[in-house]
Amino acid sequence: MTRVDADIDALKEFHAALVRFRYGQQDLIDRGGDKIEVARASLAERAGRWRSVLEQCQAELDDCQYRAAHAGTDDVLVDCAHYAWAVCEAERRLEEIRCWQQRVDEEASTFRSAASRFRNLLENDLPRTEAHLSAIITSLEAARDVQAPSS
Amino acid sequence: MPTQPDQDGDHGLSLLGDAWDKAAQYWRDDMARHFDTYHWTPLLRESRSFLEALGKLIDVLNSAERGTEY
Repeated sequence: MTRVDADIDALKEFHAALVRFRYGQQDLIDRGGDKIEVARASLAERAGRWRSVLEQCQAELDDCQYRAAHAGTDDVLVDCAHYAWAVCEAERRLEEIRCWQQRVDEEASTFRSAASRFRNLLENDLPRTEAHLSAIITSLEAARDVQAPSS
Repeated sequence: MPTQPDQDGDHGLSLLGDAWDKAAQYWRDDMARHFDTYHWTPLLRESRSFLEALGKLIDVLNSAERGTEY
């Protein structure tokens, strides 16, 4: 590479880097979307599991409370505190999962808005920038050819 | 080992920035200044904005995963 062509070579390298960047960033947008779907599916699965746990705990508490209400005066005291605690615990975890689902939805919305603007830039503006740079490189090469001394 | 998309994005932007810095060492005419103002700077700004949103998203998704590991 001669010193006189170093500028053109650097511009060509930058042009190639722009193209690589465009494809790489488009892939990132898709990967971000995939991550959102994976997280949503995981949270939905966990919410479903804890709804089942809650239903089971609630049934056990109802059963205990029924036994307590129908126990005779001579029967052993029926204590439902543990079942009540289990219901509260399942409700708490389910509520935490719901809060995370809401938070993920909010952040996903913000991301999709930014991703939409960025995708528009990658698909419309950046190809124009690359074409503009190509034209500049071509004009520089043409000028260099004109200026080059004939051998 | 799989990398996070936001880290890959930062790396990609860093590589592009290096290529621009190298080109800018040689290219200093009016066309270069025009390209810097109307092409490179907006691209850099939008890229950083997107990567910031992507980084926040990944943080929230990771926190949601850890926060619901019962």
